[in-house]
Amino acid sequence: MMKEWLTRLRFLVLRRPHAELDEELRIHVEQSTEANIAAGMTAEEAHRQALIEFGGVERAREQCHQQRPGWWMGTVLQDARYALRGFRRNPVFTIAVIATLAVGIGATTAVFSVVDRILFRSLPYAHDDRIVSVGLVQSLERQEFTVGGFFFDWRDNQKPFEAFASQGTMLHACDLVEANPAQLNCIQAQAGFLPLLGISPVLGRNFLPDEDRPNGPRVALISYGLWRDHYNSDPGILNRTIDVDGSPARVVGVLPKGFELPTLQAPDVMLPLALNEGMERKSSPGSPMRTFALLRPGVSIAQAKAEMEPLFLRTRETVIPAQIRKDFHLSIRSLRDRETKDVQLTAWILLGSVLAVLLIACANVASLMMARGEARERELAVRSALGASRGRLIRQTLTEAALLSLAGAAAGMVLAEGLLRAFVDLAPTGIPFLNKAGLDLRIALFTVLVSLVCGALFGLLPALQTPRAVALAARTAKSRKRTVLRRSLVVGQIAISMVLLSGAALLLRSFENMEEQSLGMETQGVLTARIALPGFRYDTGQKKMEFYLQAEAALRRLPGIRAVGFSDSLPPGGWNNDERFADLAAEGKPRPAQGTGGSVVSRGVTPDYFRALNIPIVRGRNFTEEDRKASEYRVVLSRLLAARMFAGEDPIGKRIQRNRDDKWFTVVGVAENVKNGGLTQQDDPEIYFLRQSIAQDWGGRAPVGEVMSGAAPLMIVDAALSPKAVAPWMRSQIAQLDATVPVEIETLSQSVSKLADRPRFETALLGFFAFCGLLMAVIGLYGVIAFVATQRTQEIGVRMALGATRVDILRLIAGEGVRLIVLGGVLGLSAALAGARLLKSLLFGVGPHDPATYAAVALLLALVALAATLIPARAAMKVEPVVALRYE
Amino acid sequence: MPPSTDLLQGTLDLLILQTLAPGPMHGWGVAQRIQQVSKDVLQIGQGSLYPALHRLEYKGWIRADWGASENNRRAKFYALTRTGRKQLETEVATWERLSAAIGLVLGGIPEAQA
Repeated sequence: MMKEWLTRLRFLVLRRPHAELDEELRIHVEQSTEANIAAGMTAEEAHRQALIEFGGVERAREQCHQQRPGWWMGTVLQDARYALRGFRRNPVFTIAVIATLAVGIGATTAVFSVVDRILFRSLPYAHDDRIVSVGLVQSLERQEFTVGGFFFDWRDNQKPFEAFASQGTMLHACDLVEANPAQLNCIQAQAGFLPLLGISPVLGRNFLPDEDRPNGPRVALISYGLWRDHYNSDPGILNRTIDVDGSPARVVGVLPKGFELPTLQAPDVMLPLALNEGMERKSSPGSPMRTFALLRPGVSIAQAKAEMEPLFLRTRETVIPAQIRKDFHLSIRSLRDRETKDVQLTAWILLGSVLAVLLIACANVASLMMARGEARERELAVRSALGASRGRLIRQTLTEAALLSLAGAAAGMVLAEGLLRAFVDLAPTGIPFLNKAGLDLRIALFTVLVSLVCGALFGLLPALQTPRAVALAARTAKSRKRTVLRRSLVVGQIAISMVLLSGAALLLRSFENMEEQSLGMETQGVLTARIALPGFRYDTGQKKMEFYLQAEAALRRLPGIRAVGFSDSLPPGGWNNDERFADLAAEGKPRPAQGTGGSVVSRGVTPDYFRALNIPIVRGRNFTEEDRKASEYRVVLSRLLAARMFAGEDPIGKRIQRNRDDKWFTVVGVAENVKNGGLTQQDDPEIYFLRQSIAQDWGGRAPVGEVMSGAAPLMIVDAALSPKAVAPWMRSQIAQLDATVPVEIETLSQSVSKLADRPRFETALLGFFAFCGLLMAVIGLYGVIAFVATQRTQEIGVRMALGATRVDILRLIAGEGVRLIVLGGVLGLSAALAGARLLKSLLFGVGPHDPATYAAVALLLALVALAATLIPARAAMKVEPVVALRYE
Repeated sequence: MPPSTDLLQGTLDLLILQTLAPGPMHGWGVAQRIQQVSKDVLQIGQGSLYPALHRLEYKGWIRADWGASENNRRAKFYALTRTGRKQLETEVATWERLSAAIGLVLGGIPEAQA
């Protein structure tokens, strides 16, 4: 066997000279001739008989060649050379196909690479399909949470889960106090948390149950990044004691590289949650946490929810006060939904639109290949008449399709890389995993295959049906049948473009509405400074307050500064504190029923807040500098809140109490409403508490690098000069107080514009795809009409000779196009109207069936498509009758 | 001319190997020998002889060398290789099994009808 393969290999490498075979065959004929002469024939007759007896010399030679192992490789090269010559002769066709493929392959690959992790790729945990997020949700917190008051009860009595463990509520800032200090992000987790995720440390071990209790041994796990960058990957890190926020902890392990919590945050240090189980069980509510669980195999989320319901109802009875009970619900969601629920719709829409583009691209390639196939029908017929086998012709077509696909794929990859970079630059911060997206080779391969198949399939049609004799004559009925197919492809393309265009137009209208709406405040010339005070030096509210007040005074001394204020959050969106409407009681009025009224935005501000943002006070007065030192508590209400709490009364001087403390707040003023629920949401009522000059009002702290900022004060500066000039001054003033604190300065316009990043991203992408789709559909339409016009040249000649005017001819050819446009447009419009509901939640200020938008899109499509029809139609109109009659 | 029989695919290989078993021979000789031995029943179309010879050579069952023919002319002689000889034995065995089986079937039909 081995030897046989070796022999084959030898013949594969060593080519045998043609001459040798020729000589062998010649000798054979000679020998036959001699034998015939010996049998008594004349020399001439003997030779003739020998040749007859031998049969086709050429055929024998061909067949001998075909015995050679790997002989077909030579013909592939031959086919490829032939194909390349053909492409050179027909550059427009070649470029059109390659460009179409590049756009289809490039866009699909780039978009898929982005949405893959959001929609399809498995999460980086073992059993990721069984991990769920479990807990309560209520109107102020839509992400599941649990508290110590019922966590242990649930853990002990639940049935649907194999494992049940918690992490702390959120990543929080912590300080590594040592010779080389660092600000880090810390998280607490239970001993069972990492095993639940199926994560084990790369070095060392996980927490022991003994370490996950109060007053247990203090231990910590550190991230791979911290170990590598801060400790130079020191293998002796285990058992070393590090000082986190002033208390020592022994490092017992290093987390795997790139480890992420199920809340999508990357901690630097993980500490045991160390809950006091006995205390927590008795407390109500107890410590808050995020709980995750591992479903038993075969248990669905719905089943788990049904099984957890009795536990939940019991919990609600015992832990949650009767007034607010109705607001709490049990929620169990898959980990993927917990991580990416709010971007899944965007991801699906992007994927859908890019697949539509791929579809149009494939239709275009198919159409182009068919046109080429028809144009070459005669060439194929001639080749087949000269002895090329059908298999050979099919292989030739396949070779061409493969070459085109490869070129298109190469161009597509370049395009995909560029597009992906553009996406990353353009994309809002809220889209998870985007910064880690890389080109996905699996999908690249898939798209290449798809386009190869559609190219080859339609390229093959003519080769497969080659009517050997008939094709040598001119047009046949078959080619007309194929034109019908091409026309339907064009109708499909126009329909899909119509859908894409409508979607893009709706998003564009919505985006415009969003940009043009009034925010109720001034963003021009306003800067915000976020100052991250290191907690180990500014460890009391007093120290922080002193720093902030000094900074305020220093900035006020700068020229061109009109106002310097503080707040914990800013409109129109992003993170802010909330109160429940039902928790605010007006003096002398019945408390509103619990669970009613929704939420109220609450901000802790200084008097200059309203001045800096130019929010008018419509009644009463603003806070004053004196109020900051006063002993009474004062509040300003938004007009909406004042109207709801004190309908038909003068709110000034009225007193308000919050549920959670017994302080009475006096209403001193009413401010105009401000957009505060994000750019697209309805406005909430708003309450402004005064941030007074007392230590407890300045004590909050935020995690490092987190967009959400706990209650850390945010400086707001209104400058008369350009922000570019003011920002460095602000920096230097703050640096004079403490050169080491990091300061993040941003203009308010920037932060507002960031809120529109997501819609901008969606609009830009969908717009781009719609444009690509339209362009390709129009090229397809142009191709078909031009083809039809050429095909009917002779007919046009006859018609003109019989008295048809040029306008008649224009009408004849353009009518063809108009029919396709109308049919495709109507199909597309109905599909778009049916599918637009999907976009509803992304739209702002425009309905999914907005007539003006659809009319505009239809008009645009009609105009562009008509232009594409008129060009070949005009060319047909200008044909000279004499030339047309002689055509072919 | 006596009626010629269509050769089963694969049988040609067997015939060529068998013909070459006594000693090296050139292409024309192989064709003549098969014709003679089969008393003109089996006629090898030259169009299929040479492709078959080449195929066997590529498989390594026969070897080709240029030499002088009986009347001292240059000709290409084919000879069995060792693998070829083994292959011949297997093919003969297979063929005998097959023809025995066919013989049984042909002999069995009348009995079954009876």
